[in-house]
Amino acid sequence: MSDLLQAEKLQKSFGAVQAVREASLWIAPGEIVAVMGRSGSGKTTLLHMLAGLESPTAGKILYRGEDVGRLDEDALALWRRANIGLVFQAFHLIPTLSALENVAFPLYPMQLRAAERRARAEARLAQVGLADRAQHLPSRMSGGEQQRVAIARALVNNPPLIFADEPTGNLDSTTGDEILTLFKKLRNETGAAFLMITHDDKVAAAADRVLKMVDGILQNEKG
Amino acid sequence: MSLHYLLAELRNRPVRAFTGMFSIAIGVALFVSLQAYADGYRQAARAPLTEVGADLTAQRQGTVPSKFEGVVFPHSTAPIRRDEINQIRQLSGVQAVAEVMFFWSFEPGGFVAGLGLDPSDTFGPGRLKADITAGRFLQAGDHGVAVADSTYAQQNKLTLGSIVMLGGQSFTIVGLANTSRAGQLANANLYIPLLDARTLANAAPQVRSVFDIRPDDVNLLFIKTDQTRVDQVAAQIKQILGEKAIVSSGQSFAAELGSLFALIDRFGLLVGLIAFLFAAALLLRVVASSVWERRREVAVMRAVGWRERDVMIQLWGEILVLAIAGGLVGLALAALTTWAMSRSLVTVPVPWELSPSPHFLPGGATAFAVTVALPAHLTLNLVVWALGLSVVVASLIGLWLLRRIAQIHPAEVLSNE
Repeated sequence: MSDLLQAEKLQKSFGAVQAVREASLWIAPGEIVAVMGRSGSGKTTLLHMLAGLESPTAGKILYRGEDVGRLDEDALALWRRANIGLVFQAFHLIPTLSALENVAFPLYPMQLRAAERRARAEARLAQVGLADRAQHLPSRMSGGEQQRVAIARALVNNPPLIFADEPTGNLDSTTGDEILTLFKKLRNETGAAFLMITHDDKVAAAADRVLKMVDGILQNEKG
Repeated sequence: MSLHYLLAELRNRPVRAFTGMFSIAIGVALFVSLQAYADGYRQAARAPLTEVGADLTAQRQGTVPSKFEGVVFPHSTAPIRRDEINQIRQLSGVQAVAEVMFFWSFEPGGFVAGLGLDPSDTFGPGRLKADITAGRFLQAGDHGVAVADSTYAQQNKLTLGSIVMLGGQSFTIVGLANTSRAGQLANANLYIPLLDARTLANAAPQVRSVFDIRPDDVNLLFIKTDQTRVDQVAAQIKQILGEKAIVSSGQSFAAELGSLFALIDRFGLLVGLIAFLFAAALLLRVVASSVWERRREVAVMRAVGWRERDVMIQLWGEILVLAIAGGLVGLALAALTTWAMSRSLVTVPVPWELSPSPHFLPGGATAFAVTVALPAHLTLNLVVWALGLSVVVASLIGLWLLRRIAQIHPAEVLSNE
């Protein structure tokens, strides 16, 4: 199977600090990969580079064989819109929008009819089990529900690749388990690949393959 | 741009939306009200002239005679020659000229201010024909008749048919007129045919002693002009009549309104603009703090695939809606303010030289004035200005916003490490 995403010898420095010294990885379609590491090990910086939110100091990122590093900011935004879903530890929902509107949020700049946008958002919200919470504002939802909304938002454009940064970090153990179960369910239903950044063994255990990040160096582990 | 998202932001952040909108509203209201106030005063200042349908009056400073006996010219007037009148009539922008002869008559029975006019004139003192309270107005071909100011007639027990003496000639009262409005410029006690007034002036020793009076001279002109050329015509008339010319216009009446109006007239636009800029600065502050508060939101937008211009258009749309809503609310406030202003009365004093009365008589040097409701109102021009300024402010803030958004790096904002 050809790789969905491939990173070659990525490096990132912030002044004198080398956040990522060397990171090479690949992600195949439909697999769940976990990157484990302590706080400050450079794993979030790695995720930001892979998602095109941060440009690497050195190295290359290939998405389906295309060099993502050649894209400018706007082209990267469009690339993310079409190919990448992002899930954050702090959910980062828009506080003034309802759950349904938050799910539809990536679709707003697209020239879609309101009905189509709504239908797509409703379908994703149903997929994460929150159809009955569509009109609720984030402030009226639990942490687990907010994370489900964020996952539905990440999926709304049917991206082949989802990046999740500490997706269970702000959730209790039971809710965290539910989210991991949801990831697996969604992988099976949509065929999307997941790259999860975590320091939690339970999250890593849910992955097909685990990579370890130590002091900015990514070490391959057996899956 | 998502209207749905825009409205949700405005609805769910009411304090910020209200502060932004209200700051612009206050700026617009101040700007528009000040301009409406100044415009109203400028229009009110023209009231003494508009009451008689004229745009300018022209006269020439005269000479004080050695004696005040019989008919004399007030020293604010001197003869205006036929050739000068013809030159004025031919000026570009001059639509019509009404000729008038103003005089004082010192009779054994008392002092009389007299005015000779052509009854066929539809403006100037000829407007008095609409203010006849008894009898009739002067007519073409009249001779030896007069219309009396009703107050003067009452004080002197004159009625229709009464005989009055002017310069040794008798005049029969054929009408009484209320001169409180149209008669405030060149306010007279008796109005007589122009031809009779000329005859009186030409025969008067105290006129002849100081002037080379000619049969077809007059000493006061009321002039109707093209509204766009009032100032140019006034300047040209001054050139024709020489250095002693007194040409009055709405502008010169405005000078009589005092220092408050002068301040507003001179600095109204500036103060209005400063108020507006202050409002714009408030809006900018609201937007700035909003962008700072929402930097995480902006970072999320970028992360989920919004381009920089998508973000900018969305946030700019919010500012534009706030600015336009603020502009409309400001216009509504300004409409209320101007309505309240329009309920107030403005008294426009008539300069002494336009209604001269002798200083040396008891009750002389009477101050005449025209009192009108302040004609303050919103004009389409002001509305367009206010909304245009609101949009310009929103656009400028939008440009600033673009720079601020470009400075937000999603990776920095969204980082958990």
